[in-house]
Amino acid sequence: MNNKFQSPQQFFRQRRLRLGVVLAVLLVIYFGSVAIVNFQTLTSLAQVPAGLIWLFKNFVPTDRSITYLGPILYQLWRTLIVAVSSTVCASILGLIFAILGAKTTSPTPALRWIIRFGASLLRNIPVVAWAMILLFSFKQSDFTGFLALFFMTLGYLTRAFTETIEDLDGEKLQALQAVGANYFQCVFCGVLPEVASTLTSWVLYMIENNLRDATLVGILTGTGVGFLFNHYFKQFRYDAAGLIVLLIAILVILLELTSTQIRRAIA
Amino acid sequence: MLKVIQLDKTYGQNKHSLKAVNFTAQPGEVTAIIGPSGAGKTTILRSVNQLIRDDGGQILLDDQDIRQANKAELRKIRHHIGMIFQNYNLISPLTALENVLHGRLGAKSTLAGVFGMYSAAEKAEALSLLKEVGLGEYAYQRCDQLSGGQQQRVGIARALMQHPKMILCDEPIASLDPKSTKIVMDILRKLAQEKQLIILINLHQIDIALDYADHIVGINSGEIVFEGASGDVDDQVLQRIYRQAAQPEQAVTANEQ
Repeated sequence: MNNKFQSPQQFFRQRRLRLGVVLAVLLVIYFGSVAIVNFQTLTSLAQVPAGLIWLFKNFVPTDRSITYLGPILYQLWRTLIVAVSSTVCASILGLIFAILGAKTTSPTPALRWIIRFGASLLRNIPVVAWAMILLFSFKQSDFTGFLALFFMTLGYLTRAFTETIEDLDGEKLQALQAVGANYFQCVFCGVLPEVASTLTSWVLYMIENNLRDATLVGILTGTGVGFLFNHYFKQFRYDAAGLIVLLIAILVILLELTSTQIRRAIA
Repeated sequence: MLKVIQLDKTYGQNKHSLKAVNFTAQPGEVTAIIGPSGAGKTTILRSVNQLIRDDGGQILLDDQDIRQANKAELRKIRHHIGMIFQNYNLISPLTALENVLHGRLGAKSTLAGVFGMYSAAEKAEALSLLKEVGLGEYAYQRCDQLSGGQQQRVGIARALMQHPKMILCDEPIASLDPKSTKIVMDILRKLAQEKQLIILINLHQIDIALDYADHIVGINSGEIVFEGASGDVDDQVLQRIYRQAAQPEQAVTANEQ
């Protein structure tokens, strides 16, 4: 089957040829799209420094912006709560779906396809689109943001959890079956202990991710720190908006550090 | 006594895995199934506790046919058949003690099993079984921190926790070094003798099989070609067991691996 090459030279020539073709295709795509949108690479690059300097001048928090600290922190807290609660709720439901939908633990193939399709649907609608759709029914509220994040996260985590469970060595479950364990005992005594640490990593990752998304969703739903950012921004209070960006970055980094610690502790 | 009568298994079309397999295994004895890879050793072993569903025949454990059992009965029968594996198949993030306690799952209600509610007597028994296989001090260690030989001994303790009539061993020493091999095989032989268990082992190390087994079952291409005392195995018998399979069947074997 692998004997179509007469010599190593020929094999490596073909490898190089393939690499060359890939590079050529990438270049064609780049220059093609540049031509279509009329993008001038050099001119744009030249504008970057000036743009950055403007940003720094206007967005660096000033003494005055400290007076906004109270409301900002309050809204940041609410945003964090929305991100965490939506992720936790989605992960509980997602775990149930994943157990029912994973090849190794699914009771019926039909259910597997329904869950697979449903999760893919939830996941592939962008969170912004979710928020805009949900705005009609739930108006501008934290709950709308919660639901938008919840649906997207549910789709994402169901998929991730399913794959984690399917990666598990089926022999380990056979060993429990051989002992005489029934379905639920296999799931709770075998599957869950084996996948727990990987699943926790996924949940922590989604919390980080959802905090970033929650600020974006907040602009649409008129809640949380995203709304506040939009509000200050439109009033040209750039220093306050800059303070928000800074605080979000700090919070995200803190969250990342904490979850790295947790992951290390449970690995 | 385990009695396998006319056991048949076909994978897909025309791929005969087992052809009318007959053999017996006695309590108090180590019975080894030997044969070339792909001959059907694993299929036989896993049919005995119905992890693999065979196509025809009878499997009698103390005159009860496992193949006729319904779901609840099968669970009860499996509870008294221990099994150990080449890859140990322990739940690796859990401690040795917890893995041994899993041996009780077949006798527990769903809820008690799910929430890990074990009685004090069960916990004490699990601990003493771990001591029996020489792992008392590792009871609270995660299983993925144990060596291969230690994990296999946890597997044996899990099987013993089932109060088994029989222990099935699927290539139990294939991943072990010589020293661990000796420890594990010594334990298995001792169990057969002292607790009058049926020990049924798949092996591909002939010398170990001849050293430890009382009874040998030789299989080639899904057919039993020898059954008898290990003392009766000579070069001629070994040649019959390990003779080259016919060309097409060899191709099938290669595909399965």
